[in-house]
Amino acid sequence: MKISRKLLLPLISLCALIASLIIGAIIILINGDNPLVAYGALIEGSFNGMPNLAGTLSSATPLLFTGLGVAVAFKSGMANIGAEGQLYMGAIAAALVGVYLPWPGISLIPAALLAAFAAGGLYGLIPAALKIKTDTNEVVTTLMLNYVATLLTSYLVNYPFKAPGAPLGMTEDIQKAARLPLLYSGSRFNIGFILAIAACVLVALMFRYTTMGYEMRMLGQNSVYSKYIGIDVSARMLQGMFLGGGLAGVGGATLVLGIQYRFVQNISPGYGFDGLTIALMAGFSAIGVIPMAILFGALRSGGLSMELATSVPSELSKVVQAIIILFMAAQVSLALYFTEFMTRLRHRREKKQATGGA
Amino acid sequence: MSFSQISFLQTLFGPEVFAAALRVMIPLLLAALGGLLTKQAGIENIGLEGLMLIGCFSGFVVNYYTSNWIAGLIGGAVFTTLAALLFGVFVISLRAHEIVAGVAVNMLGLGVTTYLLRAIFGVKGSFTDPRIRGIPTLELGFLENVPVVGVIFSRQSIMVWIGLALVIAIHFLLYHARFGYYIRAAGENPQALSTSGISLPRTRYITVLIHGVLCGLGGAYLSTGYLTQYVENMSAGRGFIAMAAIAFGGAKPMRVFFSAILFAFVESLSNRLQLVEVPSYFALMIPYVVTVIVLAVTSWREKQKSKTSTL
Repeated sequence: MKISRKLLLPLISLCALIASLIIGAIIILINGDNPLVAYGALIEGSFNGMPNLAGTLSSATPLLFTGLGVAVAFKSGMANIGAEGQLYMGAIAAALVGVYLPWPGISLIPAALLAAFAAGGLYGLIPAALKIKTDTNEVVTTLMLNYVATLLTSYLVNYPFKAPGAPLGMTEDIQKAARLPLLYSGSRFNIGFILAIAACVLVALMFRYTTMGYEMRMLGQNSVYSKYIGIDVSARMLQGMFLGGGLAGVGGATLVLGIQYRFVQNISPGYGFDGLTIALMAGFSAIGVIPMAILFGALRSGGLSMELATSVPSELSKVVQAIIILFMAAQVSLALYFTEFMTRLRHRREKKQATGGA
Repeated sequence: MSFSQISFLQTLFGPEVFAAALRVMIPLLLAALGGLLTKQAGIENIGLEGLMLIGCFSGFVVNYYTSNWIAGLIGGAVFTTLAALLFGVFVISLRAHEIVAGVAVNMLGLGVTTYLLRAIFGVKGSFTDPRIRGIPTLELGFLENVPVVGVIFSRQSIMVWIGLALVIAIHFLLYHARFGYYIRAAGENPQALSTSGISLPRTRYITVLIHGVLCGLGGAYLSTGYLTQYVENMSAGRGFIAMAAIAFGGAKPMRVFFSAILFAFVESLSNRLQLVEVPSYFALMIPYVVTVIVLAVTSWREKQKSKTSTL
C-alpha cells in the first residue's frame, strides 16, 4: 500500500490530534474522573446550543485575526512571534479612538478598526525593518517587542488614559456607537467574526491570484531564489509584516470593541501566542486558519464547562494543546519515518514471499 | 542637594539594592547559562520560561514531600531535565521547528504546573506550607563589618554562590574543555564535527540535558530560595529576560553574566521605584528594549564586516 505524501501530512495531523486526546484522557483518569464525561462536557460546552456556540465563536474571533496575521508573516518569510504585542498595540489604538474620537457614530467603528490595523502594522514594521537593514534575527526581536507593548499599554492605561476611580489600569468605556454590533443577543458574539472570516478569504485570494501574493509566497519559500528572479525582497517583507501585524492589531480591536468595551491592562490571555499555534497547525494557510481558530475557541470556552462538570481544570486543554503542537512541529519527519517504516515492511514481506516461493 | 534627594538616591543605589539584585539575578542567570549552551550548540530554545516553571514547581513539590532543600533542588533539576529531554527528542531526532517546539514547551510548562498545583494541593493561585525548607543563606561573619561588601555578600543564599561558581564552570567548559569545543562546533560547523567522528546528535543531547539541569536549578531556587512559596506562573517572564541576557551577552558566559546582573539590577531598581511612586513600566521595559537595540547594532556590524570581507 502506498500513501501519497499529500494525504500523509493530514493523516499525521489527525494522528497527532488523537494521540493528544488519548494522553489527555490518561491524565483525566489519573485525576479520578471519567474522560468521556469530561470530553462530553467540553464538546457540549463549546458547541451544543446557540449560547455555547456563540461563546465559542466569540472566543475564536481574535484568534482568527492573530492566526491569520502570523500565517501571513510566516508565508512571506518572517518568523513573527510578536502577534501578542501587535495585538496590544491595535487594541490600545482602537480603545483610544473608541473613547475619544468625536466623530459621528457611524464612522467610529471603521475608524477604530483602521487605527488598530495601522498601529499593529507599524509595530510589526519595526522587526521587519531591523531584519532588512541590519540582518537582525526577527524571532528574538518580535518576542522582546511583545513585552514592550504590554508594558507600554499598561503604562498608558495606568497614567495618562486611566479611567478616573478605576481599581486597576483601564480606559474609560468606549462610546456606544463604537461597539461592534452583536450577532446573538445575550452573548458577545459580534460582527467581528464575520469580518475575520472575510479577512481569511481575502488573504487566501490575495495569495492565490495577485502578484504581491505570489511574490510573498516565493519569498517565504526561498529568499535567495526570490532575489534572483527579481522580486523586491525588502518591499515584500515589509508588506507581509505590515499586513500580518495589522491583522493581529485588528484582533486586539475586536477584544476592545466587541468584548470588553474598554482597554484593560493585560487584556489578552495569550491570543497572540495561540495565533502562532493556530497558524502552524493550519500549515500557514489562510483558509486553514478558520477551523483551527474555531477549535481553539472551543477549547477556551468549552474548557470552563468541563471544569464545572468535572474536577478537571481547564488548564488541561493547554497541556493537550502543547502536545498537539509538538507532534505538528515534527510531522514532516514523522511522515518520513512512517514511509521508511512502511517500505521496510514491504521489503521484508517481498523477501519472505521470495524465499517462500523458492 | 537636599536631604530628600540624597536619601532618594540611597534607596536607588544603596548596597541593599545590589544585594537584592544578586538574588533576583540567580534564576535569570541559571536559565541564561543553560540557554547559551544550547545556543552555542546550534539550538535556539525559547522554551526557557516553561522549563524554569517546571523546575520551580517540581523543586517545590519534592521539597514539600522530603522537607529537604537539597532534595528539592535535585528534584527540580531532574524533572526539568526530563522536560528538556522531551524538547531534545522533538528538536534533535524528529527535526521539529525549534521555535515552535519552544512555544510548546512554554505552554506545556504552564499547563502542567497549574494543573498539578490543583491536583496535588487542591488550590488555585498560590501555595505555601511549613514543611518547605528554604535554601539556607551562607553567613560570612568576617565580611559583616566591611562597608558595602558586607551588606552585599555576607548573607547571601547558597545558590548565589553556586550560581557564580557555575558561570566560571560553564566558561571553562566552553573554552577550555574538549566537550565545550564539540558544543561550539555543533553550532558553528556541524558537518565538520560529524566528519571528525563525533556524533552531532549525541553532543546536542548532552548539551540539552545540561541546560535542563541549569533551568531546573534556577526554577527551584525561585520557589524554595527566593521565596518559599509556589505561585501560579511563577517564572513570570524570567525565561524571556534570560533570553534577552543571552542575546545581549552574545551567548558568551561572562558577558551573559554581566547582562544578567544588569537586568536584575534594573528589576530590583524598578521594585524600588515603585516604592517611590514613579511609573516603573519604563524601567521594566529596559531589558527588552536594550536587547533589541544591541542585537540590531551587533548584527549591523557583522553585516558591514562580511560586506568588506567579500570585497
